[in-house]
Amino acid sequence: MKKFNLDLSRRGFLGAGAALAASSALRWSPSYAQEPQVLNYLSWPGNADPYLVAEFEKENNCKIAIKEYVGGDQMLAVINQSPPGSFDVVLADAEYMHLLHEADFLEELDPADYPLADYWPEFQKFPLHWFDDKLFGVMSDFGYLGLSYNSEVYKPEELASYAAMWEAKAKGKVGFFDWYLPSMGCVSLSNKNANPFDIDEAAFGALKEKLFSLKPQASGFYTIADIFSSLRNGQAHLIPGIGEWITLGLRMDGAPVDTILPEEGGIQWTESLSIVKGTPKKDLARKFIQYTASPKGQVLQATKADNKKSIPSIAGWKLLNETMPDQAEILRLQFDKPNVMDEWKKGRIHFRKLPVQQAIEDWNDVWSELKSL
Amino acid sequence: MTEASLPEISAASSPPGGRGTRRARAALPLLLGLPVALWQVAFFVLPLAFLVVVTFWKVRNFRLAPAFDLANWEKVLTSTPFQRALVYTAEVALVATVLSMLLAFPAAHAIALRLSARARGRWIAFLIIPVFSSYILKVYAWQVVLSPGGLVNTGLALLGLPAADLLGGTLSLNIGLLTLTLPVVTLILTFALMGMDHSLIEAARNLGASKVQVLTQVTLPAIKPGLGLAGVTAFLLSFGDYASPVFLTGSNPPTLAILIVDTVKSGSQWPRASVIGVSMLAILALAFVLVQALTQKRKTR
Repeated sequence: MKKFNLDLSRRGFLGAGAALAASSALRWSPSYAQEPQVLNYLSWPGNADPYLVAEFEKENNCKIAIKEYVGGDQMLAVINQSPPGSFDVVLADAEYMHLLHEADFLEELDPADYPLADYWPEFQKFPLHWFDDKLFGVMSDFGYLGLSYNSEVYKPEELASYAAMWEAKAKGKVGFFDWYLPSMGCVSLSNKNANPFDIDEAAFGALKEKLFSLKPQASGFYTIADIFSSLRNGQAHLIPGIGEWITLGLRMDGAPVDTILPEEGGIQWTESLSIVKGTPKKDLARKFIQYTASPKGQVLQATKADNKKSIPSIAGWKLLNETMPDQAEILRLQFDKPNVMDEWKKGRIHFRKLPVQQAIEDWNDVWSELKSL
Repeated sequence: MTEASLPEISAASSPPGGRGTRRARAALPLLLGLPVALWQVAFFVLPLAFLVVVTFWKVRNFRLAPAFDLANWEKVLTSTPFQRALVYTAEVALVATVLSMLLAFPAAHAIALRLSARARGRWIAFLIIPVFSSYILKVYAWQVVLSPGGLVNTGLALLGLPAADLLGGTLSLNIGLLTLTLPVVTLILTFALMGMDHSLIEAARNLGASKVQVLTQVTLPAIKPGLGLAGVTAFLLSFGDYASPVFLTGSNPPTLAILIVDTVKSGSQWPRASVIGVSMLAILALAFVLVQALTQKRKTR
């Protein structure tokens, strides 16, 4: 493998001028969605940033037009409401993949097309991306959710268990990400549910009770932007269900925050790329997924300034350690040091899933009730 | 507000006497009013009607499907979070209304009746500017000022005083809401006080009325419609506000406006969100009619 210099690619991008910078953040529009050199990409915000896609656009003489969504519900709403052929590639969180698959939005992928053999063995056949032994999504990145905390107020030893959220010290200082799934997942873990999202009615009742007992400790229910500010300005000292995707950036910015995975375990979020069924641009879509799964694409995924992630590709780890050793250290993606795969090996990671035995609405209702208590 | 003031304006602007036939004279104001009426139909009446229709629709696979189903109304109106949010939002709006009236009236009284014409103009401009600056920006600024590590607490620490927990409660919520309502309410009351017949006050004084008597028996009754309008405006703004409850209390607990967003965010339940929206509009309309009835009765009959 050729050693490549990321700084050079950055400079190359800058040299390409403002025109490229402006057009790289192309917004999706039905008016040019059908043009052959436009790849229509339904994704979380920021994923068509020039840092991630400029090189791909240049190599393939195309433009990526992004339609941004915030949250899986919105993603499903957009794809359901758009005419067929509106999107070529979709980035989805793993827990929504079965809904996309059941609604027949996804093209089956040929595993041989993608460098899955480069991935950590744990991720080569990621269960939420395969249906009936057929591949429908290629993992692009992942991260863990646990208990994020203000490191001036808490020492890691005090947070060995989620139980810390119920202690007097945390009264009025437990912030919540205003999304039922990761928040209730952590409380479910603290209730010692081996499978936090697959629980029977009795366990669901116990979860509800446990969750409601947390209300007097709550400082607020925050949007993503307010999670950043509440952690930073000291309004919240503990936030369950978030992770380094929030705290790493803040810490590098000088804020005293960190994330711990308590002994009850943590939750993994996982993003993947899929080809949308019916696209006439299957080749370009496949190339884009190949690029993102390639060592180079993986390094870019991991190191984007405002969104640091873990990557599943060992080849990506190698390239990162060769080209940006400091980033590899911060991201805990080093081979010879404690790294993000350790938690996996200890068996403390559970996938984030949609509720298995109850309806999504039931969990949502419990969450709404908690907020209004 | 626009609709209520329209008849007065058109009545005042129709010239007395004049040459043209009576029918032409009657038709002109109607003709001139037509674009406004069409505008209102296109951008208020029709969307409102659609909102009501949507409350009966269903969501299938994240898509709205026309139907006639009362389930949305039943689900929302009987849900505990909705009932709690309704009571809480009404409380919040009432408190903010009373606070803004109490704070705004003395200010408006001073501006309208005590200041020179020049100073008055300056103060009115001073009140109009905040109306045209970003409210969200101001709410964010309050977040910075009130937060545990914010300006106030930094100041307290410099003075050797203990930190105060200011953000995320009734205090911060009302500070945010007053930022929204106070300038508008003060302006309405100022104009109401400027518009009243000032010789009434002089007459009352000459007849030996005390300051309190002048205020309660002359000034306040004279600006009753203005008081009503100011109160309704404050209630309306704070009842429907989203920014202050979200950014200054962290949605803890949620208001009806927050509940609308939550309902759409999880499950794309546009019909149920519409039920909350229509309920809020109904409550506001009721408040408006009630206040109109209370403040205008004596004036018109």
